[in-house]
Amino acid sequence: MSVIVPAGAGRGPGDPPEPPRQTILFDAVAVAREGRVALDGVTLRLAEARIGIVGLNGSGKSTLLKTIIGLVAPSAGRVTVDGLDPSAQARAVRATTGLLFQNPDNQIVFPIVADDLAFGLKNHGWSKAETRERAQAALARLGIEALAARRIHELSGGEKQLVALAGLLAVAPKTLLFDEPTSQLDLRNRNRLARLMAGLPEQLIVVAHDLDLLADFERVLVLEDGRVVFDGAAAAAIACHRERAG
Amino acid sequence: MIDGIGRSGATPLHRLPTGLKLAALALVATALFFVDRPDVLVGAALVALLGLRSTGRRFREIASDLALPMTVIAALGVVDLVFVDVATAASVVPRLLALAFAAHAVTLTTTTAELTDTFERALGPFERLGLVDAGRASLTLTLALRFVPLIVEEAREIREAQAARGLGSHPIAVIVPLVVRTLVRAQVVADAIDARGFPPPRNSNNAK
Repeated sequence: MSVIVPAGAGRGPGDPPEPPRQTILFDAVAVAREGRVALDGVTLRLAEARIGIVGLNGSGKSTLLKTIIGLVAPSAGRVTVDGLDPSAQARAVRATTGLLFQNPDNQIVFPIVADDLAFGLKNHGWSKAETRERAQAALARLGIEALAARRIHELSGGEKQLVALAGLLAVAPKTLLFDEPTSQLDLRNRNRLARLMAGLPEQLIVVAHDLDLLADFERVLVLEDGRVVFDGAAAAAIACHRERAG
Repeated sequence: MIDGIGRSGATPLHRLPTGLKLAALALVATALFFVDRPDVLVGAALVALLGLRSTGRRFREIASDLALPMTVIAALGVVDLVFVDVATAASVVPRLLALAFAAHAVTLTTTTAELTDTFERALGPFERLGLVDAGRASLTLTLALRFVPLIVEEAREIREAQAARGLGSHPIAVIVPLVVRTLVRAQVVADAIDARGFPPPRNSNNAK
């Protein structure tokens, strides 16, 4: 198992300032999808650097992430991201918040790595020159600059997941949302991604069935039937989840 | 052919502007259909093959890339030979070969981003007339290039899963689950594209 060190841990007086985080508020949020309740009166204030979300399949974890980025609109209540409404101000929220999907093949749009990174940057209005620089920098940050000219379908699952993550990092978000990021990875790639995630200064909100990934997180929520049934320290939350899962 | 979508490179064909390459391809393709002399068409096919070789692709690789189109062209040649006449076969085969070589040379030396940028610019006037959304149209082209290999892979997985369960291969048994999977994937991909900020703002080149 890799050692996960929260990005904000161990900061001293001489250390650089904490990277900016966003405050995400859920105010009595309910979401009804396809005839069933996906979120049921969720009220939360999310401001920590590392937040985990666990729960059984269908408990509302992915829906909660999607409401943050405006892919799903609440049927009742209100979500704000640093004061912005993700449904009404989606472009502004998506410039500061990125979502990494479970399957990178669904997230990567262009057949060549560098072109795919350019796609996200173009969407956020970066010039061509800046796009090249930022794409290179994002790939270098994850140590995969050698993949820039590679075709996506030639990459391994782990490499694709890193390319998808680089696509988000290139846009310089403050918050990264991960939806079961390790579920399709082998152990080596899972550990590599876990180490990279631990070193990211951005605020992370991670949905996972891989409980080890969240072991050192500041805060973990347990969802059940669209409700938050536990909200607290990682160890206690994981124990609660294990007990409720049976 | 989908795999033939190119990488950037340094050959003369790589350096030519994409719009020029596509326009030249369209012109050549049209012109070839007004020529019936087999000797001229064979010459055109040879020139196109040399142009394709100039991209750095070896003859063996070209044969592998174009195995399927060349098989179809050969079959057409045989049909013409049997059911029409020798002269028709002698013009159809080199004409289609010239076209396949030229088209492959363009796809090998043009990246998807260059292709979609050019496509988007070409549609610009139609967008100004309110006839088409150029950004969405070029994204559709990109998605086709990106996802056709994935859909082919999924079809193979479905066939294998059914074979593992002892089911024979029947087109309907593959097509139905493939369509369902593709529709589910389409929804997720649409979400991912939205989440990545598409569509870009107007006049995005100087927005930041």
